[in-house]
Amino acid sequence: MVVKIRLARFGRRKAPFYNIVVAQARTARNSKPIEVLGTYDPIPKAPIDGEGKKWKDVKLDSARAKYWLGVGAQPSDPAWRLLSMAGLLEPKYRPKA
Amino acid sequence: MPPPLRCTSSLPSTCVKQLCRAGQSTRSFSTTPRQDQRITRNRRQLFRWLGSQGQNFLNPLNGSTNYLGAYNAQGQLKRVVEAAAEAERKKKKEEGKANEPANSSASESGESEEAKEFKGEIPPETTRDLTPFPLNKSFVSQPVLSDDLREEIWKRVMQDGKSVRVVSAELGVEMSRVGAVVRLKEIEKEWEQTGRPLAKPYHEAVMSMLPKTPYDPTGRTNAKPHESINDLPVHRKTGTQIFHPTSESRHFTREDAAKVFDERLLPADLRVPHPELAEMHKDYKAGLSQEERQQRQMERDEIAERKRQRAEAKKAKKEAAVKKVDTGRVEFRFTEISVDAAGKDGRGFKGVGWRYGHPHMDRSRGTVKIPTSVE
Repeated sequence: MVVKIRLARFGRRKAPFYNIVVAQARTARNSKPIEVLGTYDPIPKAPIDGEGKKWKDVKLDSARAKYWLGVGAQPSDPAWRLLSMAGLLEPKYRPKA
Repeated sequence: MPPPLRCTSSLPSTCVKQLCRAGQSTRSFSTTPRQDQRITRNRRQLFRWLGSQGQNFLNPLNGSTNYLGAYNAQGQLKRVVEAAAEAERKKKKEEGKANEPANSSASESGESEEAKEFKGEIPPETTRDLTPFPLNKSFVSQPVLSDDLREEIWKRVMQDGKSVRVVSAELGVEMSRVGAVVRLKEIEKEWEQTGRPLAKPYHEAVMSMLPKTPYDPTGRTNAKPHESINDLPVHRKTGTQIFHPTSESRHFTREDAAKVFDERLLPADLRVPHPELAEMHKDYKAGLSQEERQQRQMERDEIAERKRQRAEAKKAKKEAAVKKVDTGRVEFRFTEISVDAAGKDGRGFKGVGWRYGHPHMDRSRGTVKIPTSVE
């Protein structure tokens, strides 16, 4: 069976919050995963001083993520996006020029 | 509102006379029938007021506040009248002395000096002269920061790089006000740079009417503090009345008092905005010499500086650990965590992420689901 690195949606209605999880591909989205690698909060937060860009918070254990990638875990597209931003993978999709 | 007066108008001006003309409306647009405009007592009093006290507000004083409370019923400045009476009294005294043969020349020179002083300029306002509403004596117009002082505050903070705390103590202006002045000055300077027009005439007109705290450029500290800067803020926890029995032999300090109010409440000495000023005064009271006090102050400053640097370094280290990726629209901030922090059962309080296997807090009974504050 395939082990995937994917996002599990938690939070409330219109207030999404994701756990970045390692789970068996055929288990339910929010079922108990093999491991929780981190979190992703997709709601942009305003910077404290009011200047600069809004930011999104990602918490990730990159060492464990590397291990799971090393043993063949397959990231889903959104997970791939986050992991590539963290510098663990080659980006799958690049913005067209 | 003209106050009820029983004064004889000394100089009724022509315009007031015109307005006083019996039974006539000088206003063509007035729809009130003439017989309704007969001279009543109130009307008479109004025009009498306009001729005496009111005149002062038609031609306001230069370089001084011009409040109702500063004038007597005859429309004269109270402080000028008092100064004149004082000068007169002194003159008489001097004359009495001059009759004695000994020090006539000295007394003469003193008298002439005082007379000059009084005639030259209006004496400064007292609290009584700063009451805009004569019937409300407790309403006193408070001074505002003068332009020079605001500029100096901005200069000391932004150009000399002094801390807000130090500038506040030096110039006698509250820390929150120092912060506000610096922020507004920054905006003003930005507007001046971009060529945005400022409401200068309005500013000057308002400032000419208000009492101001001047800036004294001679010393490092301002001669006249703007306000009391070291007031103890009222904490909510100290609002309750507590009868706390304690033994007579016990040394009950402010620290203990704070503990009685709340376990986590700091003592009053530390809750004031400038605890360092209290420390300096304690040294002074202890009778230490100037050098010793300076030495101790420097040591305290050094400790504070080290503490600040440590906090800054800690913050910078934390900041450096966050990886920032800019995707154009937003910035992603990656914080490194450890999977093991969640513990063996995955429910450790240091672990990140939504928990599995037990319901969320907002599902539990008896808790308030409606947020009590919005951020």
